[in-house]
Amino acid sequence: MRVLSLAARRLAASLPTLLIILAGMFLLLQLAPGDTVDALIAQMGGGGDAAMAEELRRFYGLDLSIPAQLGNYLWRLIRFDLGFSAIYGKPVATVIFERLPATLALMTAALSFAFFVGLVLGVIAAKRVNGWPDTVISTLGLIFYATPSFWFGLMAIVFFSVHLQWLPAGGFEDVAAGLTGFARIRDIAAHLVLPTLTLGLIFLAIYLRIMRASMLEVLTLDFVRTARAKGLDETRVMLRHVLRNAMLPMVTLIGLQAGTMLGGSVVVESVFSLPGLGRLAYEAVVQRDLNTLLGIVFISALLVIFVNFLVDLLYARLDPRIGTGGAP
Amino acid sequence: MDMNRRALLLTSAALAANVVAPEAAFAQEQPRRGGIMTVHFPTEQRILNPSLQASTGVYIVGGKIQEPLVDLDAAGNPAPCLAESWEATPDGKTITFKLRQGVTWHDGRPFTSADVQFTAMEMWKKILNYGTTLQLFLDAVDTPDAHTAVFRYSRPMPLNLLLRAIPDLGYISAKHVYEGTDIRQNPANTAPMGTGPFRFVQYERGQFIIADRNPNYWRNNLPYLDRVVWRVVTDRSAAAAQMESGQLLFSPFSALSIADFTRLGRDPRFEVTTRGNEGNARTNTLEFNFRNPVLADIRVRRAIAHALDIPFFIENFLGPFAKVGTGPIPTTSPDFYPANMPQYPFNRAQANRLLDEAGHRRGAGGVRFNLRLNPAPWGEDIALWSTFIQQSLNEVGIRVEIVRLDAAGFLRTVYNDWNFDLATGWHQYRNDPAVSTTVWYRSGQPRGAPWTNQWGWTDEETDRVIDAAATELDSARRKALYADFVRRANTELPLWMPIEQIFVSVINRRLRNHSNTPRWASSSWHDLWLAS
Amino acid sequence: MAALKRFALAYLRNPAAGFGLLLLIAIIVMALTADWFFPRDPLSLAGRPLQWPGANPRFPFGTDNSGRDIAAQIFHGARVSLLIGLVATSIAVVIGIVIGALAGYYGGVVDDVLMRLTEAFQTLPNFLLLLVLVSIFGSELTTVVVAIGVVSWPATARLTRAEFLTLRNREFVQACRGLGMGDGRIIFREILPNALPPVIVYASVVMAVAILLESALAFLRLSDPNVASWGNLIGLGRDVLRVQWYVSAIPGIAILLTVLAVSLVGQGLNDALNPRLKGR
Repeated sequence: MRVLSLAARRLAASLPTLLIILAGMFLLLQLAPGDTVDALIAQMGGGGDAAMAEELRRFYGLDLSIPAQLGNYLWRLIRFDLGFSAIYGKPVATVIFERLPATLALMTAALSFAFFVGLVLGVIAAKRVNGWPDTVISTLGLIFYATPSFWFGLMAIVFFSVHLQWLPAGGFEDVAAGLTGFARIRDIAAHLVLPTLTLGLIFLAIYLRIMRASMLEVLTLDFVRTARAKGLDETRVMLRHVLRNAMLPMVTLIGLQAGTMLGGSVVVESVFSLPGLGRLAYEAVVQRDLNTLLGIVFISALLVIFVNFLVDLLYARLDPRIGTGGAP
Repeated sequence: MDMNRRALLLTSAALAANVVAPEAAFAQEQPRRGGIMTVHFPTEQRILNPSLQASTGVYIVGGKIQEPLVDLDAAGNPAPCLAESWEATPDGKTITFKLRQGVTWHDGRPFTSADVQFTAMEMWKKILNYGTTLQLFLDAVDTPDAHTAVFRYSRPMPLNLLLRAIPDLGYISAKHVYEGTDIRQNPANTAPMGTGPFRFVQYERGQFIIADRNPNYWRNNLPYLDRVVWRVVTDRSAAAAQMESGQLLFSPFSALSIADFTRLGRDPRFEVTTRGNEGNARTNTLEFNFRNPVLADIRVRRAIAHALDIPFFIENFLGPFAKVGTGPIPTTSPDFYPANMPQYPFNRAQANRLLDEAGHRRGAGGVRFNLRLNPAPWGEDIALWSTFIQQSLNEVGIRVEIVRLDAAGFLRTVYNDWNFDLATGWHQYRNDPAVSTTVWYRSGQPRGAPWTNQWGWTDEETDRVIDAAATELDSARRKALYADFVRRANTELPLWMPIEQIFVSVINRRLRNHSNTPRWASSSWHDLWLAS
Repeated sequence: MAALKRFALAYLRNPAAGFGLLLLIAIIVMALTADWFFPRDPLSLAGRPLQWPGANPRFPFGTDNSGRDIAAQIFHGARVSLLIGLVATSIAVVIGIVIGALAGYYGGVVDDVLMRLTEAFQTLPNFLLLLVLVSIFGSELTTVVVAIGVVSWPATARLTRAEFLTLRNREFVQACRGLGMGDGRIIFREILPNALPPVIVYASVVMAVAILLESALAFLRLSDPNVASWGNLIGLGRDVLRVQWYVSAIPGIAILLTVLAVSLVGQGLNDALNPRLKGR
């Protein structure tokens, strides 16, 4: 119950943010050169006449004034209607929900990978600070961080898919094979390995660094010294006190980076031809499909707000000093 | 969703049954039945129905599901498809098609002349791009019986023009699916229903399209394939990787990178060819904006043409699939190609002289003047070509700034706002200059119509020749008129088309009976089969 | 002065930081000497396209698919990347500091409004916003740099705000108020210098991300084609990746080293400023 009311309050507090984003995006897109009809005509490859273009503009509701279009949009939104997608000829909500699984799977996989591997490596590095494992791990972390992700992805395709033929080069699943049940899940998992690594590596580097730093920070704090002085054994000190406190910044970071990750998936999905939200967003920008783009912005904003809400809950659990009510 | 999964299961069972004895069949090159054809699908399409949209992206899918009245045979001559025969009256105003009997739609209903009438009047004439122009003077389609369609025109329509155009612009849709609905919003636009060898199953956006064998196809016992799957792969290098890993068997319409054409062409597993695309020739353009007084001067336009070393560019950048172009009508069109037209060979000294004559002396840093170049955002060759233009013009003292825009921005900026100096893209030649070529030169095009004369250039002589050729019924006289047109175009140079290309297909060698007509990639694939 | 010297010593005691600094200096030298080593326009046609590194002594790094000298583009590209990094970072940091400072100093309604705005920017995937900005305003270098700056400020704003929140009630600020100093003066002359060190350190992260963002834009072919940027070269090399992989590998390594250098320097600064961790 408390969690629910907290969630409701959180959502209410986010409403102005959402409004700023949607209205800002809408107005920004009005400045774009060309509209969705131009994009459609580009797809036709010519032969469209002026009357046809005009009729299409009327069809897509582009002949209205800008305030009227914005008003219509927001009024529809209030009734939970995201509108009609110009590129796909279906309701935006349907289009987005078709794409959501791929993006959610990719983001969850990449985030978990980055989080856990980053955590483990960060702890190892901090335990052996300035020793050779630390040097190796920190250097690797920096190199991952500095590598452009699309470049890494392309190289991984060349190596793992083409030369070794271990993993598929792209796509979300092998439709031609017509798999079902567990085989299908395995197939999807195989398709997601390389994209997960590619998207995860950047964040792995960040988590690793943060984990190492916060471990080092926490190890110097008084309560750890006290715990050690009390004669608690090292593993328990690590698990109960150090790790728990050092994880706080990591958890915060997840919240901060949910948005970044969605942005990063634009590039990764394009390299691996994954049918996710990131690529849909890119497509929507290029095709000037206003409704779809705003829909994605809306859903991804909700997603980020939701992740941050989860982070707050987690934070409250991890840090006994903070009650559920008063997250900063 | 459930239906689809069951269909999937059924066909994979059929597949398993087929795998048992393929070796014997292969030895004699007996067509093998069964198998799944996987096709590279590089851009998401809003419409898959070729009676509503004429573009390669639609034909590659819709062309397997729906069929045109007339197709092309191996030699490029009109071949019967849904129409079995045709004839025109001597005045060229009435053209009669006799339709094939016993053809059914995928839903089991019979195909009749009412479908032809409906598609022609409601789709080709009102919505289909290029169709609206082609059928501008179509008054009515009469249906004296269920298997005869009589096209009545208010002005003479050259039969040859119509027959060359309708393999692309003559796809038929089912009247009972579209009648009484808003055609633009009809769900069949993205779930097409036709008479073709494959039946549409599913379109999963951003992922794949599936079509299955039509068991009731009018060509008995065809097609050979069980299923066609189009995979959406937008990234060129990713698509090349999928060709190599065997996930894709065919990449049509120059959708891979030029480097990969060369590389895969040397790989024994693939055939890289322009065969099967002869009907899809295109030229690279260089468009001049006459509203810029510098470019309104013919000497400057000719100097720019002389400054470009086309053979060097083709040899080093485009490779074996391109050749030097000579103007708006490409060499792939022997019925219209005129020889010995005015040309502008590479001659830097001449270019410099012309620019000096035009009064543009070199100033600080050797620069005469600055121009903005808007390249179309499709095609790797256009990007390379625009960089080459920038580099070449720099050598004769013209500084070029490349303005990079996406498709919508490019069309709006160049063809509607006229906010450019130079622009470059593709001109698609569609087997007859009247279909999509002369609009690049004819004045009086409505503002904002892309790929038309938006240069601010008007030439009465050109307009007269174009109009005369469009309704001329005599083939020889038509050819002569188009020669006049090209001569004029190459002399005045409102735009320049110095490179000629044909789309490239990359084909896995397991494919049989492929590339056997000039528009094979667009055609129905009823006789395509897969060796094991 | 003595403090600066102590700081420099603390910084250089860290070998990784020293290496980063050396690397950064090397890249700056490359940028400065580009015109001297490669006086020709790096985008001009230098020879046959796609010559392998070493195949022609004139082109130690080979030529790209437009027949341009890759070595020349690497040297001139160092300028562009550093410029993109520095200018975009400055834009982001200035916006971030102003918004963070105002929010942290005034609190209340000002804080609420500004933080809503920051949240809006943080909630929106920044690369998506960048895509939109570039498709709308074009891919000229200036536009790209400003757009990168505009999407990168929120973290700096939050950091600055946090610093201001802790500093605004300190005695010296109270004292300044007592002396009747104006808000502007207190914010920018008194509090800001104290709040700056962590922000400066964080700027290295912003700069690294800015360079990577430009390369991702170029990969999607949305960056300025009229400048010799490393990102453009990778984007171009994407078409020949499988055989002539050096076209994207060489600028890829250049980006990697630059981002590495910037990160190492940032980390070194952080460690030197954070004496608590010294010697660990």
